[in-house]
Amino acid sequence: MSSTPSQSRTSGHDAGKPVGLSVNGHDLLFPPLPYDIHARADKATADKQLLDFVHVATYRKDVTRKQVTSAAFGDRHGAFRDLGAAIKQHTLDHLDHYLEQFVDNATAAGVKVHFAQNAEQANAICLDIARRAGAKLCVKSKSMVTEETQLLPQLEAMGVETVETDLGEFIIQLDHDAPSHIVTPMIHKNRQSVARAFERELGAPYTEDPQELTQIARAHLREKYRRADLGISGGNFLVAETGSVVICTNEGNGRFCTSAPRVHVAFVGIEKLVPTLEHLGVMLKLLARTSTGQPLTVYTHVMTGPRRAHEHGGPDEMHVILLDNGRTEILKPETREMLRCIRCGACLNACPVYRKVGGHSYGAVYSGPIGALITPMFRGLANYPDLPNASSLCGACYEACPVKINIPKYLIQLRAEMVSRRITKWSDRMMYRMWARSLGRGWTYRLGGWAQKLFFRWQARVAGTLESGDPYRARGWLNDLPGAAGGWTSQRDMPTPPARSFRQWWDEQNRP
Amino acid sequence: MVGRAEQAMSKPSDTSASLGVDRQTFLTPVRQALGRISGQAVPPPPTVDPKLVRLASVSEDVVALFAQRAGEVGMTVCRIKSDELIRTVMGLLEKVGARRVAASVGSLPQAVSLNDSLRRKGVEVVDWRATPGFAEQYGLDAGITDVHAALAETGTLVCSSDAGHSRGLSLVPPVHIAVVRQSDILPDMVDYWARLSGIPGRELPSSQAFITGPSKTADIEGILITGVHGPGQVHILGVEGV
Ligand code: SF4
Repeated sequence: MSSTPSQSRTSGHDAGKPVGLSVNGHDLLFPPLPYDIHARADKATADKQLLDFVHVATYRKDVTRKQVTSAAFGDRHGAFRDLGAAIKQHTLDHLDHYLEQFVDNATAAGVKVHFAQNAEQANAICLDIARRAGAKLCVKSKSMVTEETQLLPQLEAMGVETVETDLGEFIIQLDHDAPSHIVTPMIHKNRQSVARAFERELGAPYTEDPQELTQIARAHLREKYRRADLGISGGNFLVAETGSVVICTNEGNGRFCTSAPRVHVAFVGIEKLVPTLEHLGVMLKLLARTSTGQPLTVYTHVMTGPRRAHEHGGPDEMHVILLDNGRTEILKPETREMLRCIRCGACLNACPVYRKVGGHSYGAVYSGPIGALITPMFRGLANYPDLPNASSLCGACYEACPVKINIPKYLIQLRAEMVSRRITKWSDRMMYRMWARSLGRGWTYRLGGWAQKLFFRWQARVAGTLESGDPYRARGWLNDLPGAAGGWTSQRDMPTPPARSFRQWWDEQNRP
Repeated sequence: MVGRAEQAMSKPSDTSASLGVDRQTFLTPVRQALGRISGQAVPPPPTVDPKLVRLASVSEDVVALFAQRAGEVGMTVCRIKSDELIRTVMGLLEKVGARRVAASVGSLPQAVSLNDSLRRKGVEVVDWRATPGFAEQYGLDAGITDVHAALAETGTLVCSSDAGHSRGLSLVPPVHIAVVRQSDILPDMVDYWARLSGIPGRELPSSQAFITGPSKTADIEGILITGVHGPGQVHILGVEGV
């Protein structure tokens, strides 16, 4: 197919924007604060195609996860998750010890370890390494931490051409977009947008065939690997016992970025440690199955130091930048559990809210249930007052999590903190207070229920949907309530309450 | 719950920044959050009970299990006798149309003088050790390697770097042919870690790649495509009796 981009534009979610710089990736992840979720969430929920897309993709992953984990672990799944949680918790509980051990062993293996308390320090260290190496071209594999520090624009400003090599991230970079899922970064984009980006930025012939598109990217990126003098990666795990950095990828770009250039720099958050290779093995058994339903990712790359003298390939220099950037704040006992996260993405795939609003609605680097939790921790609760409420507390995330982070519990804690710190609006606080009072006493509860029933049935009568006859079944739905009740019906319908309540029915049945 | 983080996280665009901090300065807030002091004893980490984490038992037919699982993740498996190796490799190279190849220098390829045999049959065999890095490898049609281990439970090849093994031969060419001896196959990853137990990091290979399938992506609309950066085809030759 060789239509022009404008003719082939079938994607609803970016229709109408100028081709090219249609979005600002930086602002997607770093919006003006305090962040108000509503504009993006409304836009996302109104975009039928985006919605279907994200919904199908995440739903499919969620189903696969359940099938694959039960086939692999059977009745041991619970015990496996307990062990995964215990390993991460133990490491966090003694993180200073394991950090020291990692630094000693990595250093002994020839790694230069750097310590960055925040994003600026981490970026500055990396720029300094690039400068010393005289780097001109940097190939980069997927790393959420470098999204956090926004490294790329800085390298580019220094004159180092920097290329994202994960296919999804590469396309996102061409479109100046931002990742919307921690595992599947371009879950919000379709093949047409890829075709347009390749045509526009790489001069490739327009094709919507995913196989051909992939080959175009392969050929383009091979040239980059060949010339690159700096490789940047993240790290899924750090092994204290050996000083190893572990990355889990499927495409192979991670192995290229860490092997082809002369200098390799890994950006890793301090929470990524595990004590030993044996413990790493347990986490690996959980990670890929929970994340994508694979037994292991295609490539699990365990890197321990730079190229040895007798080896013929691999980087001459290997650097690890350990990053704090707010993590030690979460390390406090009350919230430490959150740092167990291995970024598998299962909670995003399981979340009915994520599926409905997509990753960019969270207005931050980490989205979904875990993002709703750690973003307010990283960047201030007052800056993200909507996130703790962007959850139905259904518990699907907790059930999916391989390291058993009790996300709903912490979201409730954050909500409570919002009330106590008066971040929640006064009117909302009063409403909930009155609600709690009325639920707390029998007579107020009954009075409230009675008044609500009268109101709804009156509305149904006005709307002509209240049908006489069978009072229990032949009831219509209310879909356009007036006043404050309209907030509910704007996104879902409300059944008309029956003439007789459950309590009345119960009392009648149990009358002696 | 939220306190200092609001101040600690400054905007990533600030330019004046030191080149990080020293180790002890870095560890101070870690210890503060944990309520620990430097050098304080640490209880042993959680025990990894093999009964729990081993997903493939030693009693299983590991060769059959490996072949099945490797097939499930998209690699082909062909079981051969060692005297059939050259012939099978040649057959594969013809099938994929490979004329320029390179092989790792391992005990098995050497034992059957693979390179010489292939050359005699008209295949161009490149000495990848002649140039540093991957320079020679981008132009190859296939890479032939032996493996350091194979894991039956997940259908995984373990390819480590050393003097005779490049990081690239299992990654750079579009086709990877892996020669796996029966004795390389371990039931479970647990068994591989046990083998490394006690070896300090500095004595490990700089690169250990656990390969479970051909290079894959599902980034474009969730459609599975192989061969995105690494090889699109991985063919395993399982050599019996060695
Ligand atoms: S919170 Fe749990 S489920 Fe969510 S990404 Fe982290 S580890 Fe996975």
